[in-house]
Amino acid sequence: MRSTKQGYSTPQLLVCALLASVTATTPAHATVTRHGDSTVTLQSTATSGRRTANDASRAYMASIQNGEPRATASYAATRVKKIPAFARKYGLRCSACHTVWPELNSFGQQFRDNGYQLRNERDSPIAQNNAYFPMTIRVTPQFHVERGTRQLVDATPGDAESGQVERTLTSHGFDLSGIDIWTAGTLWKNVSFVVLLSGDNLGSFGFEAMHVRFDNLGDSPWLNLKVGKFELDNLVSEKRFLFLSGNGGSYQSYHFVAPGSSVDFGIGDNQIGAELSGHSLNSYTRYSAAVLTSSDGDPGSGNFSSYDANLNLSQAFDGGKLGVERIGAFAYLGERPNTYQTSGGEQIPGSGSNRKMFYRAGLAGDFFLHRLEFLPLYMHANDNAYLASGADNGAPLPIGARDASWNGGFLETHYYINQQLVLLQRVEAVRMQNQGFTDLPHNLGNVDAYTFGTRWYPFMFSRAGLALHGEYSLAKTVSPGQLETEGSTINIWTSSLLFAFDFDF
Amino acid sequence: MSRVARHITSIAALSVVALLTAAAGRAQTVHGLPREGRGADIKANTHVGRVAIGKEEYKRYCAGCHGDRGDGIGENTQWIDPKPRDFTQAVFKCRSTPSGTLPTDQDVINTIRRGIVNSNMPQWRPLPDQMEADLLAYIKTFSPRWTSEKPGTPFVIPPETPVTTESILAGRAMFQKFECWKCHGADGRGDGPSASSLTDSKDQPIHPYDFTTGTRFKCGTTNADLYRIFMTGLDGTPMASFADNIKGDQGWDLVHYLRTLQPLRTPETILWKTWLATHAAELKPIGPPADGR
Amino acid sequence: MRMKLVASVAVCALTTMALAPNAHRNAGGTVAGKVTFTGTPPKMKPIDMAKEPSCAKEHATPVMNESVVTGAGSTLGDVVVYISAGAPSGAAPASPAVFDQKGCQYLPHVLAMQAGQKLEVKNDDQTSHNIHPLSKVNPEWNKSQPPGAPPIEVAYDKPEFIPVKCNVHPWMHGYFAVLNTSHSAVTGSDGSFSLAGLPPGKYTVTAWQERFGTQSQEVTITGNETAKLDFVLKATEY
Repeated sequence: MRSTKQGYSTPQLLVCALLASVTATTPAHATVTRHGDSTVTLQSTATSGRRTANDASRAYMASIQNGEPRATASYAATRVKKIPAFARKYGLRCSACHTVWPELNSFGQQFRDNGYQLRNERDSPIAQNNAYFPMTIRVTPQFHVERGTRQLVDATPGDAESGQVERTLTSHGFDLSGIDIWTAGTLWKNVSFVVLLSGDNLGSFGFEAMHVRFDNLGDSPWLNLKVGKFELDNLVSEKRFLFLSGNGGSYQSYHFVAPGSSVDFGIGDNQIGAELSGHSLNSYTRYSAAVLTSSDGDPGSGNFSSYDANLNLSQAFDGGKLGVERIGAFAYLGERPNTYQTSGGEQIPGSGSNRKMFYRAGLAGDFFLHRLEFLPLYMHANDNAYLASGADNGAPLPIGARDASWNGGFLETHYYINQQLVLLQRVEAVRMQNQGFTDLPHNLGNVDAYTFGTRWYPFMFSRAGLALHGEYSLAKTVSPGQLETEGSTINIWTSSLLFAFDFDF
Repeated sequence: MSRVARHITSIAALSVVALLTAAAGRAQTVHGLPREGRGADIKANTHVGRVAIGKEEYKRYCAGCHGDRGDGIGENTQWIDPKPRDFTQAVFKCRSTPSGTLPTDQDVINTIRRGIVNSNMPQWRPLPDQMEADLLAYIKTFSPRWTSEKPGTPFVIPPETPVTTESILAGRAMFQKFECWKCHGADGRGDGPSASSLTDSKDQPIHPYDFTTGTRFKCGTTNADLYRIFMTGLDGTPMASFADNIKGDQGWDLVHYLRTLQPLRTPETILWKTWLATHAAELKPIGPPADGR
Repeated sequence: MRMKLVASVAVCALTTMALAPNAHRNAGGTVAGKVTFTGTPPKMKPIDMAKEPSCAKEHATPVMNESVVTGAGSTLGDVVVYISAGAPSGAAPASPAVFDQKGCQYLPHVLAMQAGQKLEVKNDDQTSHNIHPLSKVNPEWNKSQPPGAPPIEVAYDKPEFIPVKCNVHPWMHGYFAVLNTSHSAVTGSDGSFSLAGLPPGKYTVTAWQERFGTQSQEVTITGNETAKLDFVLKATEY
């Protein structure tokens, strides 16, 4: 297994585990891998010569059986970022920076944009008590139920020769989440850092975020520089959102991969690079421009020597009695090599050339109607034909290959009954516009998802946080037909039910 | 596609460069004053506050330090220095009104917006104007003074006089005469002979402002803010009002001198340094008169 | 011009003050007596005014802290004795209560006044003072008064014992005793007081000392007699 792309989150592992049990007897895919491996699978399973739509379809189906059918559902983001360490440092209540944690409010956004500083001339660590250490842990003990329809299983359990049938599989039980160990703070006035060590529930750790930031360059809030691995400056953050379940714990659009495409990028994945950002004093106007290594955040990956760019602009307005309203636009322009130097047939990391582009662009908003908050997002995505068809190293474009494009979006709603109780819901859709192969079914890969839940924070002060979390999420993915439906498409439904104690200290 | 994408990339890159240039340009136009206080602070707020909503938002933003009862005793107060304001006393540092009177609504809202430097009071700039008005409406319920008294009449600050060597020298003489140095020190370092014994109205030790390291003041950043501070005094602290003794343009002299003490590239500093280069020997040191007066 | 006006106001004030007791005495009864203490009062320490040479040279011998002033026979000075209940209501005296700063001391250390009465704060020193009365009920203010500056004129509306300090000269402490009545006295170091001009009636008389707290007694006046009333406050060492 490769090292983790992101810190493990429980729901993700749960789904993986569920699917592992489904696929354990499939010899060709004995190992359940994470999404980041899917492109490798695709490339390595292809036979030599030109690929066809059927190859792509088969590969996609294989990847589905391999544990990534819902393109995203098994890919919950690591959720962090309510930071009692800061509450302890400055003595503010969680609610000062968060609508409800971990989601930021407008003041929290300003604090973050200031480089985790209040700018009261006491931000430097020398102004703090010696005993203060900026550390936060977050874990989520839970009970959950995971369910998936039309999973391929042996007709007779234990008999690999008995043929395969479709069954609905359900599993449930108590479980642990992973852990996020987050340290973040200031090294000096206007110099801040973040190190987020994220571990799965088996104790395997990865670096989810690690960066240093130089703030207010030239005494201007318009110039800040960040270098390292960090979350993209998404207006609607997946890292500080309020969902946790296997299905609902990530935005579909943030991790969707078009059928057959080799683009491993997800806008919800933390990336490695440098980001220049700036904001007005109240952070109502914000911009960021980042240059990122084309590795989708995997340190030491084979995609070095190629760069992506990410741009974000947003503007907020004083909505009077309604609250602060924000609207923004984003664009991510990426490249992936299509040709690698090889040694003994093995790709040499960082030697990629013949780069092909992909992009993601869209609009997002954060609107308040007093106690009601709406988070809409629309995104258009396009992958170059070479990438969309998963063309082999240096090979010409397969027949029928073309740019893949899709549209995705969601509308998320929060209703704050009070500062300690929130109701949540979210409806999502991803629609393929063009398949990477002309003869793939036009709707293959489409996703619809609906999630609702509630979080109750029994106490609210400035040292730690606890939330009682309930969530249900249902997703429908248009997948390649199997058995008698092979050649057409089928709808696979997956659902997650989660009850959790989400706490951090 | 890739041609289009490259096009987008170059446009994006260009716009970033343009943005940065604009930002850098803006940063240079102002003579070293911190960015806060360049207009954003004095945005008038005419919204009518709603007590019930203010109470909710107070709990969210303020109560951790100022306390649920507004008495300055929140869960964090024990860890904080200087201590949070006790709203039940209705005594406020930052006012435009005479010492001993209530501040105007805008005074309190300005304080919420700009925060208080060298304290834990943040700059609550992102809060909508309406919410600031709501918070103020609720804060007023903590003291009967808000119903029995009216805010004082704000000082009228005359138009600023030109920055001249004479003005700075006159201000320096005032710094000596009014014994600002007793607390703020001869060089403005906040280390005057009385500095160590200062306490606020709650008997907490308090430090005089150190001009040599500070760029912002507790109650603002601009020259007019500085003028206002020594006219109103900072109620609840040892900083007294000099309104009975400083009149009109005289105040600008003191402002101009105080600016020379700060680590800023202000017109005052530039002029003063030039003058000092040739005249330093003519100055009598600030401090106790040699003859004991 | 201004100085002249101030001077004449001051002269008037002094005259009125001198005459006032007589006016009262002729009109009714008097409560008079002595305030003494039991127990051990704290030892008053000398004040080091070296940081303010212009004041230090005004005192041949070191000035002692004034928070407890005692006299021979355990008498207690700077005690405010006043009618706390039953006093005839009346407008505040037209004459101002005068609080002087001289030799970096407050003269008097405790100044009694009636709510609404004008208070005049003077600076007779060659140094700047700031007058910072730490009121809680009344508005708190803090004003600077350089040498030669005109008197600060203010008034307090609500009864309150207000500690007064000068932040520049940390040893300077005093009190404003803002009372509901004009019938008040501050004892000298011999502990004696006299409240004159009381019409017949039943009164509560209260003695207040900044360290030792308050004590009240009741007294009845029937005519022009002088009722004798002594207070014994319990001294605490800290």
